[in-house]
Amino acid sequence: MRYLIISLLLLLSSCFKEPLYHSQSYVFGTLVDISIYGETDARARLLSNQVLADFQNLHNRLHAWQPIAAGQASELGQLNAAFAHGKPMLISPDLASMLVDATKLSVQSNGLFNPAIGHLIGTWGFQRDEFSAVNIDADKISALVKAQPSMSDIVLNGHAAYSNNPSVKLDLGGYAKGYALDLAAQYLRKAQVKNALINIGGNIIAIGQHGDQPWRVGIQHPRAPTAIATLDLPDGWAIGTSGDYQRYFMRDGQRYCHIIDPRSGYPAPHTQAVTVLVPPSVHAGVLSDVASKPIFIETAENRSKAAQIFAIDHFMVVDAQSTITVSKQLAKKLHWTDAHVKFATLP
Amino acid sequence: MLNLRRYLKALNPKLMTPYLFVGDCLVLLASTLLVGYLFQTLWTNEHAAKVQIRLGDKIYASYSLNQQREIHIHGKLGDAVISIAQGKVRFAKSPCTMQYCVHQGWLSQAGQAAICLPNQISLELIGAAQPYDTLNY
Repeated sequence: MRYLIISLLLLLSSCFKEPLYHSQSYVFGTLVDISIYGETDARARLLSNQVLADFQNLHNRLHAWQPIAAGQASELGQLNAAFAHGKPMLISPDLASMLVDATKLSVQSNGLFNPAIGHLIGTWGFQRDEFSAVNIDADKISALVKAQPSMSDIVLNGHAAYSNNPSVKLDLGGYAKGYALDLAAQYLRKAQVKNALINIGGNIIAIGQHGDQPWRVGIQHPRAPTAIATLDLPDGWAIGTSGDYQRYFMRDGQRYCHIIDPRSGYPAPHTQAVTVLVPPSVHAGVLSDVASKPIFIETAENRSKAAQIFAIDHFMVVDAQSTITVSKQLAKKLHWTDAHVKFATLP
Repeated sequence: MLNLRRYLKALNPKLMTPYLFVGDCLVLLASTLLVGYLFQTLWTNEHAAKVQIRLGDKIYASYSLNQQREIHIHGKLGDAVISIAQGKVRFAKSPCTMQYCVHQGWLSQAGQAAICLPNQISLELIGAAQPYDTLNY
């Protein structure tokens, strides 16, 4: 009996304060949410602040349109200017390795993931902090598509980069957050952190777990302010969603989202959201960011093939008609918020 | 319904009458129904108890959802108004262009969140049990 009381008291006291540190901050134009479990508050704060400082630094260097200071473009901005003028530029080793990696992924996806279409993204008005509906310039869009900006136009020679195609303009908006996730996970693991959860604008990677339970993630419903489902995110796994509800504008009753089909130059019209769950690897974060794009852009019949580009077994699609399709592997892991939800399972 | 004298008699088990069993059964039935009803309304929906408001990287304040109030906050862009009424909370006004946060509408369930990225204000509903640690969107 005495032990029972003691264990009950212990249980109670642990309820009052669990060793969970939680911080939120705005970087990469989005919300960064870091949870660290099992460290003292002071150490967790120090580590989380370091991660945030690294993110901010990366953000400043890779920003596609914002200068660091008046008259001084970001490293990516300078590189884009050099590309436009057909001149080579010396770039940092980590940017070079990012470009090599992004080029590989872009080629693998047959150009459906294409960070070289910065001009198109700008034309659609999405390269602004406070964007609004734009007039659609069909001629300009078709000219930008015809110019065929591609990652393989970029040539790296040592630390110098140049582009064979002046229409290449890099926008790493679909890559940098995933890269930052991998970087942060690596940093925290090196610092012996056993349990953490990092969320950059919806892209999430897990280290360890939340006490004696796995980290639990809610997947946002694309049309309601609630989670559509939840799932456990085990150690090393990452999850990412591409949605048409975070950055979009309405024009004449039609929705134009920020995910642009490089083949047509227009926002992909037939998808509300694609979620991919990525097993542990050194690139899990990057894949959670990149792998959802081809699935989002492709039409229904080609989606399973698009998922296989990056060997994604766990994915969910909510199409423009709000029909939910889930891969068999992911269906096993999801806990639906609405018990009566209707969804189709892919074989 | 129950006669007091009979009730007092019932305290003595020897004098217990079968009538009381009917009353007992009714009481039992009523309480079971009540527990069932309370379980349905209070437990399964995970109604949130309070809202946590964050401004930038700081927790601005937490408010109970039981009291009607309007909160005016000065965000990165300008003044936003958050309304609390009848266990729900919403962005009522925001200075941002796209008004996504306002269009999110009322939030009432634990774990629900609305974020205004341009103005750097977020609402998160906190309940007795959080259904998840973070949100993928």
